[in-house]
Amino acid sequence: MNQPSGSVTESAVSIFPGEDIILKVRDLHTYFFTDIGIARALNGVNFDIPRGKVMGMVGESGCGKSVTALSIMRMVTRPGKIVKGEILLYRQDRNNKSVIEEINLTALEPMSHRMRELRGAEMSMIFQEPMTSLNPSYTIGDQIMEAIILHQNVDKAEAEKRAVEILDAVGMANPKLVVKRYPHELSGGMRQRAMISLALSCTPSILFADEPTTALDVTTEAQILDLMRELQARINMTIIFITHNLGVVAQMCDYVTVMYLGRVVEQAGVEDIFFNPKHPYTSSLLRSIPHVGSRKKERLKPIRGVVPDPYSKINGCPYHPRCDQAMPGVCDVQVPGLTVVGPSHTVRCFLYSDAVEASNAQ
Amino acid sequence: MLSETSHINPDDLLLEVKDLKKHFPIRRGTIRRASGVVKAVDGVNLYVKKGETLGLVGESGCGKTTAGRTIIRLLDPTGGIIRFNDPKQGWVNLESMDRKQLAAVRPHMQIIFQDPFSSLDPRMTVERIIAEPLVINRVASGSELHDRVTELMKVVGMRPEFRSRYPHAFSGGQRQRIGIARALALNPKLVICDEPVSALDVSIQAQVLNLLEDLQKDLDLTYIFVAHDLSVVEHISDRVAVMYVGKLVEVANVEALYYSPKHPYTEALMAAVPKPNPRMRDRPIKLPGEVASPANPPSGCYFHPRCRYAKDICSTQVPLLEEIEPEHFVACHFARELKLRGVVA
Repeated sequence: MNQPSGSVTESAVSIFPGEDIILKVRDLHTYFFTDIGIARALNGVNFDIPRGKVMGMVGESGCGKSVTALSIMRMVTRPGKIVKGEILLYRQDRNNKSVIEEINLTALEPMSHRMRELRGAEMSMIFQEPMTSLNPSYTIGDQIMEAIILHQNVDKAEAEKRAVEILDAVGMANPKLVVKRYPHELSGGMRQRAMISLALSCTPSILFADEPTTALDVTTEAQILDLMRELQARINMTIIFITHNLGVVAQMCDYVTVMYLGRVVEQAGVEDIFFNPKHPYTSSLLRSIPHVGSRKKERLKPIRGVVPDPYSKINGCPYHPRCDQAMPGVCDVQVPGLTVVGPSHTVRCFLYSDAVEASNAQ
Repeated sequence: MLSETSHINPDDLLLEVKDLKKHFPIRRGTIRRASGVVKAVDGVNLYVKKGETLGLVGESGCGKTTAGRTIIRLLDPTGGIIRFNDPKQGWVNLESMDRKQLAAVRPHMQIIFQDPFSSLDPRMTVERIIAEPLVINRVASGSELHDRVTELMKVVGMRPEFRSRYPHAFSGGQRQRIGIARALALNPKLVICDEPVSALDVSIQAQVLNLLEDLQKDLDLTYIFVAHDLSVVEHISDRVAVMYVGKLVEVANVEALYYSPKHPYTEALMAAVPKPNPRMRDRPIKLPGEVASPANPPSGCYFHPRCRYAKDICSTQVPLLEEIEPEHFVACHFARELKLRGVVA
């Protein structure tokens, strides 16, 4: 199953040998057309997501993690727009587990009947702040039942029964009472559980979790992570876990995608990201965050400078202005291509690219 | 007092708090009759040494922010003693001071807030924000004031040319620097840092934490660092106090508290932190139930309904914060017997 090392083209076969791919994103560009200019939130994102695995997405704020998730869900609204690229979803038959259909999500209208069918049933999302994503004027039960009635052909009584079941499954105490409660009557952890119930009510095959535990206390966080792991194993769900908490990444993810300024800079198995990071940005990011259990009082090493604003256009590698290993004449001129550096490990950096010597020789 | 049991020289201390209480009435009905009381801070004892950073951790709603604010009299305490070692007047009692007396002590006690977006007045320029404490206390005026603002902006790593800009023109990290410059304007001794980095992006967090550490060294500052992120607290603190429903359950050196905790709640907290090592995946100790309500706390030890080591005595008697090893204080009936697990990483 080993693949040869070296530069490969973007449309190359899956970099995850032995994995069934559920989602392919190719050359995705999402721009926001605002009054002060064009914010290039995604600048050619390419990645594959293996089915039934947890993919972590890390990077500083503004690197495009959330916009990637929203683009795939087709929930980018004006002034944002997907201007280029392809998102392919491989839908599986629930019973015999064979891929029955390749759906090009970028070809669908965001509000089309088909897209609305897929959202909720095939793909779902949990947000960071449950209070702002739950509707304050409907009860928890109403909101979960709405999703169930919309996607599954059941009546109100049956939907309520299922809502209670799913609340029970996520470990909510007194689910029969909770369905009659409004979001403000619940604690933060309970709201996040309600949000998860809502997202899982139609057992989606892909779940986007956008910093689902960032606003929670460690003890509640531990409970929610435990719950997600359990549910993931039980229904073989694919989870795309957006976070900047390295502990959460280490505990939850099988693979990690590192993003910077609207591009994927590195993708690898979770152990490679922690013990064998290749991209200078990945190593800097790991060094800049305090680790619990570090014992030694080492000074943190923040990444130089700040994330450039998305309105500016940077020539060459987007990270070169902040990179300690930037090579003048190379990194500030060309955009690095994809290099396979190991099994399931790819990086976009000229330090690992054979193409550099070739272009220098010319 | 705690310092007495610990044989610490009072001259080395900056602050001592004894049995501090802050209760908020719950008002119900049309005549707003007090129908109950939320014991946000309920008998906190602690001391802070000169030049150290004391971390204050706990789950949301445990009273850590209220404790920080009550200590510097931003809130009036319901009971207890707050003694502050004022550089000019020596030991003074803050809890009984009136406004005028407080005004003399306040320059030495400052606070940095969590949200750099709501803690700066959007209609004031950076210069006015940083100069305000200097003007109010009549410390500087004219060109002296101008120079001091320039100096403060340089100290926190901002370009003085930006002095006439408004807060909206800055990023979260830069705004937090403005807040820090304002807190430092009067050369304080004690700075309460109330979640100063939790609203910031990961890479900016590192910059602000480094800045706070540099300033502490250069300006001889003492911090009370209130936060819920245990990795940040481990990084910055010398000693850490753990709070649960208005009471301290454990206070110790950071090393002792993280690696050999003596209170079951601390153990559970430490076990809950996700370890940044994919080769060490373990299931955290499950803490059943929810944080007890400070309006209606359980009997005995407030933690007993969630504690896996609880025995009969725990539901009837409130454990006191006792020093069981030098400078290691624990409020648990079984602190000397339990063998607890700390952070393994």
